[in-house]
Amino acid sequence: MKKQYSIFLITALLALLFSSCQKGDVYKTLIITGQGEHNWEYSSPVLKQILDGSGMFSAEILTAPAKGGDMSAFNPKFSKYKLVVLDYSGDSWSDATKAAFVEYVKNGGGVVVYHASCSAFPEWKEFNEMTGLGGFNGRDESAGPFVYVSRDGQVVVDDTTKGAAGTVAERNDFEVRTLNTEHPITKGLPVRWIQASDEMLGNLRGPGQNMEILATNSPRMQFRRSEAGAPGAGAPRVRPAPPRFEPVLMAIKYGNGRIFNTLLGHADEGGGPAMQSVGFIATLQRGAEWAATGAVTQQVPYDFPTAAGPVLRPEFIPVTLDKAFEEIGSYDITKSTMYYTFIKSQIAKAGENEEALLDIEKKMVNVLKNPEATAEAKKLLLRELSWMGTDYCVQAIKDLSSDPELAESVEFALTRLQKVN
Amino acid sequence: MTKKSNRRDFVKRSAAATAGLFVFPSIVRPSALGLGGKLPPSDRIVIGSIGVGSQGMSNMRDFLELKNAVQFVAVCDIDSDRQLRAKEVVDKANNNKDCRMYGDFREFLEKEKLDAVSLAIPDHWHGIVYTETINKKVAVYGEKPISRTIKDGQTIVAAAKKNNTLWQTGSWQRSLPNFHRGAELAINGRAGKIKYIEVGLPDGGRGVGTPPVQEVPAAINWDMWLGPAPKVPYRGTCHYQWRWILDYSGGQLTDWTGHHVDIANWGAGLEYTNPVEVSGIGVYPAEGLYDVPVEYDILCKYANGIEMRVANSSRLKLGMGTTWHGDLGWIHTDRGDVLSASDPKILEEVIGENEIHLYKSENHWQNFVDCVRSGKPTIAPIEPAFNAVVVALLGEIAMTTGQVVKWDPENKEIINNPRATRLTDRPYRKPWALPTI
Repeated sequence: MKKQYSIFLITALLALLFSSCQKGDVYKTLIITGQGEHNWEYSSPVLKQILDGSGMFSAEILTAPAKGGDMSAFNPKFSKYKLVVLDYSGDSWSDATKAAFVEYVKNGGGVVVYHASCSAFPEWKEFNEMTGLGGFNGRDESAGPFVYVSRDGQVVVDDTTKGAAGTVAERNDFEVRTLNTEHPITKGLPVRWIQASDEMLGNLRGPGQNMEILATNSPRMQFRRSEAGAPGAGAPRVRPAPPRFEPVLMAIKYGNGRIFNTLLGHADEGGGPAMQSVGFIATLQRGAEWAATGAVTQQVPYDFPTAAGPVLRPEFIPVTLDKAFEEIGSYDITKSTMYYTFIKSQIAKAGENEEALLDIEKKMVNVLKNPEATAEAKKLLLRELSWMGTDYCVQAIKDLSSDPELAESVEFALTRLQKVN
Repeated sequence: MTKKSNRRDFVKRSAAATAGLFVFPSIVRPSALGLGGKLPPSDRIVIGSIGVGSQGMSNMRDFLELKNAVQFVAVCDIDSDRQLRAKEVVDKANNNKDCRMYGDFREFLEKEKLDAVSLAIPDHWHGIVYTETINKKVAVYGEKPISRTIKDGQTIVAAAKKNNTLWQTGSWQRSLPNFHRGAELAINGRAGKIKYIEVGLPDGGRGVGTPPVQEVPAAINWDMWLGPAPKVPYRGTCHYQWRWILDYSGGQLTDWTGHHVDIANWGAGLEYTNPVEVSGIGVYPAEGLYDVPVEYDILCKYANGIEMRVANSSRLKLGMGTTWHGDLGWIHTDRGDVLSASDPKILEEVIGENEIHLYKSENHWQNFVDCVRSGKPTIAPIEPAFNAVVVALLGEIAMTTGQVVKWDPENKEIINNPRATRLTDRPYRKPWALPTI
């Protein structure tokens, strides 16, 4: 037991060393939770897992007193942190705590406002300036104008229409449109992507100063989730044209501080797919880095969703090359294509890096040689090897030619490889 | 696709105009025109269709709308239901029951004696069927994109050259006035010297996830449908949906370069050349059977310094269509009769007698018929169509390899890159092979 423990420790230390060497600084992060309409007991540890999982943050969770509790002693030391994440919508903080938070942001602190947290503190002027837009809890025209985006991509500020701020649409897959493709958070993202089964907030109001709308929903293209296994299911159900594209991701500057306001990532009783959505995960990680540093060094992950459909990470963690090669061996056509897609993405990412390409080729050859690996898996890899392989793979491919199930794919690969070898 | 009604309306308008022309020339002897001012049936072009799915039927109807210009006599499809559906249309037009049906294009080409063939089949079949049809020395109306691979395209083009084939590509935008006018303004320098071209093509759409293996519908010959492509079980994605699977298509990118890149090249004098360097990024679905890029952003550099960006339209300010940027302004054209410019005065410009006048056609299908009769080249010859899809195919290779691809437009080959070179060709599943020219 003791030995196991020390091995675990060493491994953890090594992992820590490795990740800190690889990624540079790790930013101390405070996640504030403890009150709200949503399942914060589920969401806050998931937020920690997602942020820590990027290798850039080390988050701790601070649970505020329960609703109606004594808030006077709730006085986080914001200045100890590079980033504060709000998963909180509840009782007001003490004046001293509010003042400390404002001071923290003005001095350059980073903030992520997660999902419904933009509904918090309707009475707190500075907070509403930081979130840019918010809703619910009695907000109306006195909170500021409605701000949304028109069909042709223009930001509309409506300060004439009166009325309550904040609506919640039925839980659904919906399309997100990347409006600003130059901002560090959204640069390089697909311009259209599907967020899975999320709670779409809309009709928000707020001062909206120093705010950039990074992405909106695309209400024309809401989707019903497809019936499991039904081919052709999930065809778009076109709804009546709505008047506006509602912001879902916003970047705000306040003093020297930066605030990333994401409306995505609803957590219901069992958690649900919205937080597992790669669109939510990756934009949270990127938004957090921008809020903490003003720049984004993370690459857009290969599994970022597209208009083709939502993509989930059930464990919130991205695939690694080793994991992909571990899983690809059991591929059959009823299974996820994610590991194959990942391998293809890594080949493209390697570009002209011969060393990286050879590493991938060797891993592919290991699968070809593995008698346990399925024929379907080998067929996929033979397709890639057919163009990117070197002499290294040729014998392993030839060795498969006696397998009648693979004969066609083997011939395909060898014919193509011969062309310029 | 939603704007297709515009094309139909246009075709109807211009068909009506053409019909008017037949009545007009009183100097022609009535006997030459046959009864009722129609051409005698002996002058009709005897034609057959290979591939009578959505596009094949659309083309057939466009030809039949020309009134006695063509006589369809045979149809060929791997789907027997579609054969019957097409035969019904043909028989109705011919007022008989004689339309012959085939499930195998080889038998169709062997038995039928035709003036012309209309081709609308999935891209992975083009290399074989286009070349075999050309080898029969008939006139060909062939759908874009010319080919699934560069090698297939080169084979088809070489066959057409060798046989001196009367060829028209289904790039019908060339026969619409706004595209013609836009290209003519651009090529005559009305936006100044062209430096940069932006081409917006459709975004990719919703996937189908991972559908299960299903029983092949009785009407479909699945093995024949797959043809030279790898053998895979039937999963409910066949007609039309083939364009979302890389084995058969490159997606919207390869499908639509035949339209908007073709127009871009036409207006920039790039019809008979290719880029020398292509780079690009593709966004692929992480999950599911559909594997074509749903977003793409490709940059092509030409030897004369022109750069062309080809991207899914949501990435571009002006969205779909072609925009020529010159040193004096820009000219933009798109479906839906769109023609705009940085300065509206550009659109008023008159093209002088000694300037470049691009080939003018008012009806794409009429143009084909006219050229089959006259032997003159059509508005959409094969080489420009190939050069349009080369942009997409090189872009696809750049996205797949993650490399900048260098291309030699003279020798039509990739320079010093074995991996990229392999992607210019796909070995065929036996017994299929590219025909000899």
